[in-house]
Amino acid sequence: MVDNEHLIDLRHICKEYDGVTVLDDINLYIRKREFVTLLGPSGCGKTTTLRIIGGFETPTSGELYFEGKEISSVPPYKRRVNTVFQKYALFPHLNVHDNIAFGLKLKKMPKAEIDKRVDAMLDLVNLRGYGKRKVDALSGGQQQRVAIARSLVNEPEVLLLDEPLGALDLKLRKEMQLELKSMQQRLGITFLYVTHDQEEALTMSDTIVVMRDGHILQIGDPKHIYDEPANAFVADFIGESNILRGTMVHDELVSFAGHEFPCVDFGFGSSVPVDVVIRPEDIMLVGEDVGQITGIIQSVLFKGVHYEMMIDCGDFTFKVHSTTMQPQGSRVGLSIVPFNIHIMKPMELPAEEAKADAV
Amino acid sequence: MNSGSKLTRFFKRFYLALILIFLYIPIIVLIIQSFNAGKSRAKWEGFSLHWYGELFRSASIMNSLEVTLLVAVLAMIVSTVLGTLAAIGIYSMKKRPQSLMMTLTNLPNTMPDIVTGISLMLLFIFTRVDRGFWTMLLAHITFDTPYVILSVMPKLKQMNKHTYEAALDLGATPSYALWHVLIPECKQGIITGAMLAFTLSLDDFTISYFTTSPLVQNLSTLIYSAARRGIEPTLNALSALMFVALLALLLVVNKRTSEN
Repeated sequence: MVDNEHLIDLRHICKEYDGVTVLDDINLYIRKREFVTLLGPSGCGKTTTLRIIGGFETPTSGELYFEGKEISSVPPYKRRVNTVFQKYALFPHLNVHDNIAFGLKLKKMPKAEIDKRVDAMLDLVNLRGYGKRKVDALSGGQQQRVAIARSLVNEPEVLLLDEPLGALDLKLRKEMQLELKSMQQRLGITFLYVTHDQEEALTMSDTIVVMRDGHILQIGDPKHIYDEPANAFVADFIGESNILRGTMVHDELVSFAGHEFPCVDFGFGSSVPVDVVIRPEDIMLVGEDVGQITGIIQSVLFKGVHYEMMIDCGDFTFKVHSTTMQPQGSRVGLSIVPFNIHIMKPMELPAEEAKADAV
Repeated sequence: MNSGSKLTRFFKRFYLALILIFLYIPIIVLIIQSFNAGKSRAKWEGFSLHWYGELFRSASIMNSLEVTLLVAVLAMIVSTVLGTLAAIGIYSMKKRPQSLMMTLTNLPNTMPDIVTGISLMLLFIFTRVDRGFWTMLLAHITFDTPYVILSVMPKLKQMNKHTYEAALDLGATPSYALWHVLIPECKQGIITGAMLAFTLSLDDFTISYFTTSPLVQNLSTLIYSAARRGIEPTLNALSALMFVALLALLLVVNKRTSEN
């Protein structure tokens, strides 16, 4: 599905506001027909990155290429990208039809052709017959669809979406995720999607770009990011994790929580400090006598699909997800297969953060 | 319900009625007087439209009516354009300069008219501009513009902050986005501002008095100088007409503001 050709290239993009760096040396490429998600907590620079590509911000330094041409100073109305804004930004003085037709009218398209395309778009977003309605009279989900139709009707090379589902309730959001993904695949348009919702990113994306404090921490497909997080922050942000300080005894043997575990990682050296990440669903609860370590169940929470148990093993309290419940206070054995132990270099905190942590 | 609260209610209504009576009795007397056939204010000599006829035959009154309307219309047009553009400009400023500009906009509204009038007069004397029609027009534009800004600004603030960007994103040039998105979005505020400007200009006396010459008079300055010689009954008719016209305009403005 995804072409290899780079459609957009960001090279050494930096952005400062009044001396504060919000983007620091961003390097990223987006391929044709790719669904790329910028994922990170608020203030990580994901929206700024999107706005630079949309043309609403100019980078302080660095280059932005679109099909090989540098476009960082091209105004937004001359770029072949369209944006779906946060909270939609529809034009309230126009009805649904005229909102969608806005871009086509600017292209001086004949009226009959405009009407045909607008109707096709209304069909695409399941709003057939809504053309004459006022946008204020629509529900949040319907306004969202109009905003998407208003952008897609212009047949952009790239559709930029800035937390487009943020204002919708959970059920509608899930539906729209699937709908957006299938729309993207059917139309073959490149999507650049901004969200802070890791689940949304995992569901929809071909490629996830994890950002934090103006830096890119990791780029990869959802499975890769989930299974092989580059550092403890990514591991913590994408899904839930047990993150421990440990020591690499030698290749394929790591020590943490007062015990040595066989693992599959190598090349870290001997007796070096490392971060160890274990997903809560990767810890198996076994009999007290057969576990690699033992602990006491401190608390049990029912989470719908699974139980979440906190297990005190002396040095560390593990979070474990399991479909079978163990009673609170009972002693259990924990077992982790080597493949599920992820070893990473201890995360180096950026200077400001180290200070902030010290406070 | 006990009698005590009935009594309270009675006093509340009585008090309100008193206020309204004192406010409107003079105007009602004036309107009645304007239909009095005789010249005396003490004696009712029968209903007549005589003074209304005199009013329209009086060259000085008709002349100043023309000045008043011309100033009001021109001041309305210019201040609406200036105020709307200023509001859009201030809206797109960063937070701190924006709040500074809004303070400056509010300042003339809280300042007594006499201060505005005298300072404008001093400005015209200082710059050696002869006072007359144009200086009065400039003065009216000056005090009208902040009111337009204050009517347009809330409309801009209500808008989604990305609306303008959305227009650019869909291929609109900045000027197309201004005319086809920003201005239609705050159309209600612009119309309210224009009507407010017209009304304010129409009934202004203090600022006009200081910024025009005795040769160019609007209605309020004309009435003021005529009153010093004794009130002509034609002025009753004129005041009655102005009251009705302004009342009608204010009703429309209020209706619009409450609708928004």
